[in-house]
Amino acid sequence: MADFLTGFRVSSSGMTAQRMRMNTISSNIANINTTRTPEGGPYRRKDVVFESMPEVKNFGEILGVNSPKADVQRVQVTDILSDRKAPLLKYEPDHPDANEEGYVAYPNINLMEEMTNMIQATRSYEANVSAMQSAKDMAMSSLEIGR
Amino acid sequence: MSEMFDKTTSALSTALNMRLLKHNVISSNIANAETPNYHAKKIDFEEALSRALDIDGLRGMSTSHGDHFAVGGKSTKVSPDIYENPEGAINNDGNTVDLEREMSSLAENTIMYRAALQLINKKLAALRYAITENR
Repeated sequence: MADFLTGFRVSSSGMTAQRMRMNTISSNIANINTTRTPEGGPYRRKDVVFESMPEVKNFGEILGVNSPKADVQRVQVTDILSDRKAPLLKYEPDHPDANEEGYVAYPNINLMEEMTNMIQATRSYEANVSAMQSAKDMAMSSLEIGR
Repeated sequence: MSEMFDKTTSALSTALNMRLLKHNVISSNIANAETPNYHAKKIDFEEALSRALDIDGLRGMSTSHGDHFAVGGKSTKVSPDIYENPEGAINNDGNTVDLEREMSSLAENTIMYRAALQLINKKLAALRYAITENR
C-alpha cells in the first residue's frame, strides 16, 4: 500500500545526501591551500559515497520477518572518502611547512572539478525538492476530496 | 438499479493509489540519481487496472441464477508491475537513472493524479446535487 510519507522520506533522504555532498565540496574549496591538518600533512580532498537502501515501512521489515520491497529506495551517505592522490609540491623554501628540499605539499584539488560537482549537487537537490513539492501538492489536494 | 458509489468511483480511487505508488517509485529514482549501481525502476499499472475493472466484461462468468457463484470479473486487487527500466543508458558508475525522464514523468503523474481527483470531486458534487435537490 502506498502512502505519502514514503515519498516524503525518500525525497528528504535525497536532499540530506546532496546537502552532505555540498558540505564536503565547500570543505574542499575552503581548504584548497591548507598545508596543515590535525592528522598531519596537507588537507586531503573529501568525497561522499552514496548508497541506496530499501525504504523500510514497518517493524516486520526492520526485524527481517518480512523482506522489504526493493522498488522504493532511499539514498544514504555511507562513507566519506579521503583522496589518496599525491599532494602537489610547490617550491617555497620560506614556508614553515616546507620540507628539507624547500618544497611545500599542497592539497591536490581541482577547483573546476569542485565547481562542477557543486552545480550538479545543487541541481540534484532541486530535483528532490520538486519531487517533495509534488507529493505535498498531491497530499494537500486529496484533503479536498468531497469539499 | 445502480449503486451510489459505482465502478467509476472505485476505479478512480484505485487509480489514485496507483499514482501515489508511482510517485514513490519516481521519487526513489530521483533521490538515487547519483547512486552508483542503482537501476531505475519503472511501474506499469494501466493494464492491471483495466484487467481488474474488466471493462470489456470478458473475464467474468455471468450469473443467471441466485445460487451461481460469480467467477472472475471484477476484482478489487490491482497488482502493478514494477521492474527495472530497460531503456536507460548505463552510466560510468552503473547508474541508469535519466533525470530528465524522471522529472517529466513526475510532472505527468502529478497532473494525472489531480485529474483523477477532480473527477472524483465532480462525481461527489453530482451526488450532493441530487441529495440536496439544489436547495
